[in-house]
Amino acid sequence: METRPRGGRKSRLRPGGLAWLAPGFVLSVGLIYYCIFYSGFLSFFSWRGGTSKMTFVGWDNYAKAFDSPVFWSAIWHTIVFFVVVFAVQVVGGVAFATAMHSGLKFATLYKVIVFVPVVIAPAIMAPAHIQVWSSDGTANAILDLLGLGGLAQGWIGQSSTSLMVVTLVQCWGAVGFGFLLYFAAMSQIEQEMLEAARLDGAGNLRILWSIILPNVKATTVSLAILNFITALKLFDNPWLLTQGGPAHSSEFLGTMIYSEVSGQSRSLGYASALSMILLVIAVVVSVLMNTTGRDRPARMKARRLAPAETGAQDV
Amino acid sequence: MKKRVVAAAAASVFLFSLTGCGSAASTDTTAGAVTPASSGEVSWWGWTPDTPVAEKYIAAFNKEYPNIKVTYKNYENVDYRNAITPALESGTGPDVYDISPAGGSPDTWGGFALDPSTLAQQTLGADWKDKFGTGYLQQLTNSDGQLTALPLGGMTAGFLWYNADIFTAAGADLPTDYNSWVAACKKIQAAGKICFTMGAGGEDTFPTEFFHSIANSVDPAWFLKAATGDAKWNDPQGIEVLNIIKKMKDDGIISKNVLDAGQYPLANEEFMRGKAAMVQMGYWYAQYSGLESAKTAMESAGVSNPTPFVQLPLDFPDVAAKGNGSQVFGEADYGLAINKDSKNVGAAQTFVAWMTMSKNGQQMVANAIDLIPGLKGVEPDWTSIKLVDPTRQQPAIATLLQKSASTTQTRQWQTTETTLKAIVVAVQQVLDPTVHTSIEDIAQALQDSSEASTVGK
Repeated sequence: METRPRGGRKSRLRPGGLAWLAPGFVLSVGLIYYCIFYSGFLSFFSWRGGTSKMTFVGWDNYAKAFDSPVFWSAIWHTIVFFVVVFAVQVVGGVAFATAMHSGLKFATLYKVIVFVPVVIAPAIMAPAHIQVWSSDGTANAILDLLGLGGLAQGWIGQSSTSLMVVTLVQCWGAVGFGFLLYFAAMSQIEQEMLEAARLDGAGNLRILWSIILPNVKATTVSLAILNFITALKLFDNPWLLTQGGPAHSSEFLGTMIYSEVSGQSRSLGYASALSMILLVIAVVVSVLMNTTGRDRPARMKARRLAPAETGAQDV
Repeated sequence: MKKRVVAAAAASVFLFSLTGCGSAASTDTTAGAVTPASSGEVSWWGWTPDTPVAEKYIAAFNKEYPNIKVTYKNYENVDYRNAITPALESGTGPDVYDISPAGGSPDTWGGFALDPSTLAQQTLGADWKDKFGTGYLQQLTNSDGQLTALPLGGMTAGFLWYNADIFTAAGADLPTDYNSWVAACKKIQAAGKICFTMGAGGEDTFPTEFFHSIANSVDPAWFLKAATGDAKWNDPQGIEVLNIIKKMKDDGIISKNVLDAGQYPLANEEFMRGKAAMVQMGYWYAQYSGLESAKTAMESAGVSNPTPFVQLPLDFPDVAAKGNGSQVFGEADYGLAINKDSKNVGAAQTFVAWMTMSKNGQQMVANAIDLIPGLKGVEPDWTSIKLVDPTRQQPAIATLLQKSASTTQTRQWQTTETTLKAIVVAVQQVLDPTVHTSIEDIAQALQDSSEASTVGK
């Protein structure tokens, strides 16, 4: 195999490559990384913005966050939300995707029905969800019809159930998104593999467990990362439905940050500290999930082949 | 070499970020001797008034100053705060902008404004300070002592509004204390209506006004003492206030759906739809006593072809039964500031002076009956206001206006936002049937999470 000298190729491509990269690089540094650095800087100050006094407070904003029971309850809500939504998304997504791959009649219609919640903006659906879960809403009316009126309650307006409402509403759209990705991933599984399993006497559940799920593992890992990041920066649904209440019972980091920024007092330093904490958690967890979620043999193979592959790519 | 260039570029980006955040307008806030102009263009930004009301103000202003073109841009509250800062910092802000006394706003945005003292003195004379509503100028002064804006009007709260038609139909008497409130609710609920609608869900700070009203019945001086650190929220008064709120829920004065949403839309819609007999709202609600405003508000609440009902103000019942009665609390609602970077200072001064200090401008404010005029002595011209039932509503609103103008107890100016949020959480915990924390513990948590204000001390 003939290889070209790496240095020579780089020297020929560098000027043109940089020119192509420059606009994206400038935009990225100018808009995204500037904001991150700026937030990091602000997180060490007490500042309301404008001409208000900017006071250096060191790590106080971080200490305030870690001392705050609201912060820890927001973290707990994030974990609960992530686990429930992810579980429902995986189970629902796989179930719908396998059903659609099994030659169901009117499959296209079902696909549309399952996917529609994904494309509807939370702001549009929020009033309907509020109506469903209010004290005199649809959920309680259904319970009454079923003779379970004793279970009727103010779902959205009490601490014990507000998080459940926010989570359920998110599941409503998450299943459709999970279905979309699993449906695409399952299309990539070779039919021969499934047929061979059938010839070996494997039933539907066995095929699902031993053939389909391992083959769509990358999709599951991607969904886990996406769900975790969604949970970390969750804002729209809890804000539109409960504004994080009552009494912070459905508070998330996103609603906390917004609340600090949007209030009359505008605690920009504290909000920035919360944002930096969120960023660190998101990066660390994403890296961990991405690393541990990959197949062990694939990782080992990647390590073994890494130098050779690097060289080959330069060819 | 290349590494050094990259490092220098990175350092530049970082330094740029540092200098960007510290930028602030200079501290030179003297108004100078710019003469108010009779022509020019003025841009005005605010979260209030609503655009139709602002357009009425501007049309009236243009009758006297036809050569000054005023353009108003209305923002939602949060959007306003997010839009005004970069606009003012970058020197592209409006010529005139709203400033609220609450949340330290005079410190946040007042530094971008000209001190209008000279303008006020030239317009109103040496005793100009005495001509504005009590405390309004102090509330719009920042911590450097600079007056940042001139008050357009004030706002008060601490009382109820009731639907007189529902009370008549139910044969209920107006409540004056706790027991008569319970009695009225029984009759109103028997007639198929909600007695007292309230929305305490979400982050809206409305429940603090309810808490404040009850606190005034318990001990009129206590709320502001606690807000400014001279008393504690878990003092006996605080425990009593929370116990009264709990009792109101248990006795059916407060509806079960109280935590489903905030005061807006929940309580506003239930009252405007004619489903509820009473609601707690501030002076701004007086505007819905007007025939056209009432129709519009009812339509907005979902009533088609509405027939406006008679709404009247009602003193907050003396729920603590200590003879303290009801006390209205209020402060300047907002003021108009002149941007010191404005290229139209002369025209902006003319507009602000007309709105805040002229008889005609303040008469417009008074006639809208949603603000207490910033200038003392200006009252609504009742002959030009069409009320639903003038014989009952006019004297009631006039009395409320009189009480409002004379109040010395502030509304939110001396209460930090941290404390307001802590009160909201405490009230929600008391009203939440699934929270089993004791009142004493809730009061202790309120005290622990509050932050005493130093404003006005």
